[in-house]
Amino acid sequence: MSIREKVDEYKKILDIFPNDQEKYQYLIEKAKENDSFPSELRLDNFKVIGCQSQVWLVPEEKDEKLFFNSDSDALIAKGLVTLIASIYSDEKAEDIVSNEIDLMEEFELGVILSPARRNGAYSMLKTIKEYAKKLIT
Amino acid sequence: MSKFSNIKKDFPILERDINGNKLTYLDSGATSQKPNSVIDKMTEIYKFNNANVHRGTYVLSAETTQEYENVRYKFQSFLNATESDEIIFTKGTTEALNFLANSIANKFMSEGDEIILSEIEHHANIIPWQMVAEKYKLSIKYVKVNEDFSLDLDDLSSKLSSKTKVVSIVGESNLSGMLPDIKEINNLVKANSDALLIIDGAQLVPHRKVDVQDLGIDFLVFSGHKMLGPTGIGIVWGKKELLNSLDPVYGGGDMIEEVHYDKATWAPVPHKFEAGTPPYVEAIGLGAAVDYLQELGMSEVEKHSDELREYGRKVLLDIDGVNVIHSQETIAGCTFGMYVDGVHAADLSLMLDTHGVAVRAGHHCVQPFHRKLGIDATIRSTAYIYNDKKDIDTFKSALISSVEMLR
Repeated sequence: MSIREKVDEYKKILDIFPNDQEKYQYLIEKAKENDSFPSELRLDNFKVIGCQSQVWLVPEEKDEKLFFNSDSDALIAKGLVTLIASIYSDEKAEDIVSNEIDLMEEFELGVILSPARRNGAYSMLKTIKEYAKKLIT
Repeated sequence: MSKFSNIKKDFPILERDINGNKLTYLDSGATSQKPNSVIDKMTEIYKFNNANVHRGTYVLSAETTQEYENVRYKFQSFLNATESDEIIFTKGTTEALNFLANSIANKFMSEGDEIILSEIEHHANIIPWQMVAEKYKLSIKYVKVNEDFSLDLDDLSSKLSSKTKVVSIVGESNLSGMLPDIKEINNLVKANSDALLIIDGAQLVPHRKVDVQDLGIDFLVFSGHKMLGPTGIGIVWGKKELLNSLDPVYGGGDMIEEVHYDKATWAPVPHKFEAGTPPYVEAIGLGAAVDYLQELGMSEVEKHSDELREYGRKVLLDIDGVNVIHSQETIAGCTFGMYVDGVHAADLSLMLDTHGVAVRAGHHCVQPFHRKLGIDATIRSTAYIYNDKKDIDTFKSALISSVEMLR
C-alpha cells in the first residue's frame, strides 16, 4: 500500500468515531497492540524531541525500504506514533522524503493534531523524514 | 447570596462549550480567565485613548499617561505599599526575577556570596539566580521541603549566614499550594543575615491579601495574567530605599534623565526601571483587574479559596489510585498536584479535556522537585474565584472515568 492509500485507510477508520474521546480510545487500543518495542532501545538518541511525553522512533532498513519501530511512555502518544510509523514503514526513503501529505490536515484528532508547529505529531513526522533524508544523502 | 454565586457570568469564556461539555477551567495556576471589565477597559483604551505614555503633549497621551500612572496608586493601596513609586511595571514574574537577580548581584554581591532558594521553586526563581551565580561566582543553597510539603524552616536557619545576600522564596507553591509563613521567614532572615528577602508572589497575590509593610519583606514580584489581568504585565514591589540604590538592567526609552554621547543619567524610581515603551494598555487592563478584585474584597477572595481548598481536600484526597501532592498544613492554596501510578499525566489531561476539564499536565516548571519525588509529570488543578464546588465535582468524576479508561 502506498503512503496515500494508508492515510486514506486511517482517515476512514478515524471518521467512524464521533468524538475525541472515542478517537483517543482507538489510539489507546493501537498503543496496546504495539508491544514489540525492546525496552533496551529506549535510548536518548532515538527520542523524538518536542513531545510532552517520551517518544522513541527507531528506523530499520530492510530490502531498500525503511521500517519504524516506535514507543512512548504515554498511551495516546504511543497510539499516535504507532499509527504514523505504520504509515511511513515499508516505504522507500525517496518516497518518504518526497511525500507531501500533511497529516495535521488529513486527520481530525482533536488537540493532539493541532496545526501548531511545536507539537508532538509534527516532531514525529520531522524525525521520520530526517531519517529518510539521511539514507538518501 | 455570596458574591461568588453569580460570578461566572462576568467571564465570557466560561460560556464555552468544549467537546460537548461546558468548560470547567481549573488551570488558573497557569493563567486566569478575564472578566468583561478588563477586556472592555483594554478595548476602550485602544478605541478612544491610545497614545504613547510620557511622550506627547496632547490630550490622548495625557489621558493614557494618567490612566497608566493611576495603576501604581491602585497597587500601592492593594499591597499597602508606602508609596506608589515602589511599584515597578515589568513583563511578568519571570522578567521581574531576572531583573532583580541581575541588578542585586551587580550591586550587592561578590565572589563567594550565597543565595538561598527552596527546593520547590518555579524555574523562574531558579534559573536567573543560576545565571548570575555563574557570572559572579556565587553559590546557591536550597531549603528543604518536608514530606508534608511544608518548608523546613530549621533548614533555612542553618543555611543563613553572613555570606547570604539574597533569600528568594515562593509565596504560594504552584504545585502543592504550600503557603510558607512569610513573616517567620522574614524574621529568620533578618535575625541571621543581612540578606534581602524576595517573595515570588505569582500564585500568592491573586489568591490572598498581601500587606508588604506587615510582612516586612524587601521585594515582592508577581504577574498580572494570573490575577484576572492581561499577559505581558507584572509588578516588582520593592522598598523605596532599595530601589533607589539599585541600577537599571535595561537602558533606553523613558528611563533617562539626561543622555550624552559618553554617558547617561537615570530618571528617578520607578521610571529608571521601565525602559522603552511600557505595556501601558496591559497595565491599564491590570488596573481594571485590581478594581474587580478590590470590589470583591481580598479577604472574601481568600475565604472563597479556603472553602474550595477544604472541599478539594474532602473529595480529591481519597480517589482510588490517585496520589496527591498538596500541602498538609491547615492553610494552603487551592492547588492540587496529582499523579496516577502507571498512567501518564499527558494521557490524563487529554482525557480530561474530552470532558471539557482544563488542567495542566507536565512538570509545571518545577522539574527539580518532581525529580526529587521520583515522578516525571503530574496534572495540576488550580481553582480561582470563578470556580465552585460543582467544578471540583465535575473534575473528580471526569478524573475517575479517565483513569478507568487509561488503566
